[in-house]
Amino acid sequence: MSDLLIELCGITKTYRMGKDVVVPALQGVDLDIRPGEFVAIMGPSGSGKSTLMNIIGCLDVPDSGTYRIAGTEVGTLDDDALAAIRNKKVGFVFQTFNLLPRLNALENVELPLIYGGDGHRRRERAMESLRLVGLADRTHHRPSEMSGGQQQRVAIARALLNDPALILADEPTGNLDSRSSAEILQIFQSLNDDGRTVVMVTHEPDVAEHTKRVVRMRDGVVQHDDPVTHRRRAEDELEAAHAALATVGAARPKTP
Amino acid sequence: MKFADSFREGLRSIAVNKLRSSLTMLGVIIGVAAVIAMVAVGTGASQQVQETILSLGSNLVTVSPRALTQDTLRGAGQQSQNLTLDDMNAVREQLGSQIVAMEAEQGAGPWQLTAGGTNWNSRVTGVTTDYPTVRDWPVASGTFFGDDEIRTYQQVAVIGAFTAQNLFGDAEPVGQTLQLRQAFFGGGGGRQSARIISFKIVGVLEAKGTTFGFNRDDQVLVPTTTAQRVLTGRTNSVNSIVIKAASSDEMTQLTRDVNEILLARHRIADPENADFAITNQNDTLAALSTVTQTFTLLLGSIGGISLLVGGIGIMNIMLVSVNERTREIGIRKAVGGRRRDILSQFLIEAITLTGTGGAMGILLGWAITVAVKSIQPTVPIAITPGTVGMAVGVSVAIGVIFGLYPAMRAARLHPIEALRYE
Repeated sequence: MSDLLIELCGITKTYRMGKDVVVPALQGVDLDIRPGEFVAIMGPSGSGKSTLMNIIGCLDVPDSGTYRIAGTEVGTLDDDALAAIRNKKVGFVFQTFNLLPRLNALENVELPLIYGGDGHRRRERAMESLRLVGLADRTHHRPSEMSGGQQQRVAIARALLNDPALILADEPTGNLDSRSSAEILQIFQSLNDDGRTVVMVTHEPDVAEHTKRVVRMRDGVVQHDDPVTHRRRAEDELEAAHAALATVGAARPKTP
Repeated sequence: MKFADSFREGLRSIAVNKLRSSLTMLGVIIGVAAVIAMVAVGTGASQQVQETILSLGSNLVTVSPRALTQDTLRGAGQQSQNLTLDDMNAVREQLGSQIVAMEAEQGAGPWQLTAGGTNWNSRVTGVTTDYPTVRDWPVASGTFFGDDEIRTYQQVAVIGAFTAQNLFGDAEPVGQTLQLRQAFFGGGGGRQSARIISFKIVGVLEAKGTTFGFNRDDQVLVPTTTAQRVLTGRTNSVNSIVIKAASSDEMTQLTRDVNEILLARHRIADPENADFAITNQNDTLAALSTVTQTFTLLLGSIGGISLLVGGIGIMNIMLVSVNERTREIGIRKAVGGRRRDILSQFLIEAITLTGTGGAMGILLGWAITVAVKSIQPTVPIAITPGTVGMAVGVSVAIGVIFGLYPAMRAARLHPIEALRYE
């Protein structure tokens, strides 16, 4: 038993498009992630970061190499077992939120419990999770009735529901304005402060600066793997923004 | 994933696409209604035929004279005088308790009937005492004639309800005199004469209604012996011997026994040359039910084709549904939905569509039969629990069969490709 949460060793993945086009997405990736880390995976498009993300999240399986999540060797698992890992050990947050449009916030958050088998107190647990992301008052709103930031918070609440060891976020702030981005990053940071492992794909350096470690990829391999030296706190930014707003308000000439 | 969740998801997606769902369901509704209505007509006809046959008396084995054909000789068939009352008595003696009752009939043809100032025309048949038992046909008033009347050639008659109505109206026929008349040219000089025979009416039969367009209540029954002596002159011979078996199961054995007794009595070694024929009511029923079953099957198939078309509609719409919900399937897989969860969700959706459609189709089919009945009350229609059960079963099965392929397509989707789908 190792104390690593994620153990990737020599991972390769090749996509075939049509008959002749072969896209080598990953060409031997080695990466270890310990529990409690906050990792940003960066790289230009086509560098393989999304593919790596999908493999870490058990949405896809590598062509070769070994991958262990919390000590479980994933390569030998069948479809149902992979689904169980996605359900219990991983919480996904996507760039496009990926909420079901027909369901309200509460029902969207409940979704993992429907497949988790543990159905008791489903509603209460979903409520709790929504409260955690500050959306206790939006339970019966549908995704179309919420802002992007709120939708992403619903998605985070959903990801947290089964108390997963790992939160995987794929460009979670990509579709959000800077204020909503800061709110989302604040949630991730506080989750990480509580000991939760977060892995986030991003191509924005200032977003990556909120994490503790940055893994840079290029052409399907890990190019750099460095700790973040000057870590930014989303809280501070939110406060600063708030203060700035107040200043603008104060500076505005009063109407007679 | 629990069934309740799958069911709720299925209902939700049906509710979201109300128009599409109802149009899809319409296919199944029409199909099931067609099957229900068509089979109801078929079953009704079948029941009517069966009731008709059994209303002639149940568990009957009938012996009738058979036309003998040898080289260029052609026998008389029904009118040949091969069977006698002695044959009947012999069978009765030898079979004893094996049979419930038996009777022998001799048709005397149509006669003009007069009573009081009215006249009527009806067919006259000579029968024996057990006629009411054999034919399950008791008298409504008066009594049936007994062995004494038979032995002594009494001129007594039991008349049918329709005949009674026509001759006597609402007056009581029992105790009245009935005259049978046959007019003919005779006595020389081209004069028309009439034969008039008087009968005393002793009973009136219960009404039985019409069979195959033939009014069974329009008849006059007299003792066989009287018919032989007074009406036809064919003494001793009968047109048929009708035997009632204790149960349907014993009819085959009874047929065999009667055959043996009569062959021995008539001294016929080769059954091929028998001068009588035995008809087993079961055989008649079986032959007729084959016909009506084919009829029902034909009607059912017509309904079945529309049900099939409805099923294809279900499959089509489910494929569309799976296609436009590819992303949803991806999301469900990403949060831990297994193949069988996705499969059951879509399958239950399809079954809910067809099941609801089936239930509504049953109501529609029932409404159609009620409507048809109110317009045309004589059309025999019967919706049996079996038909309803079959319709429900078939519509659910159609949901499974036509929903399975789309559901499997949904379940097999790769999570990433499904998530990327726009």
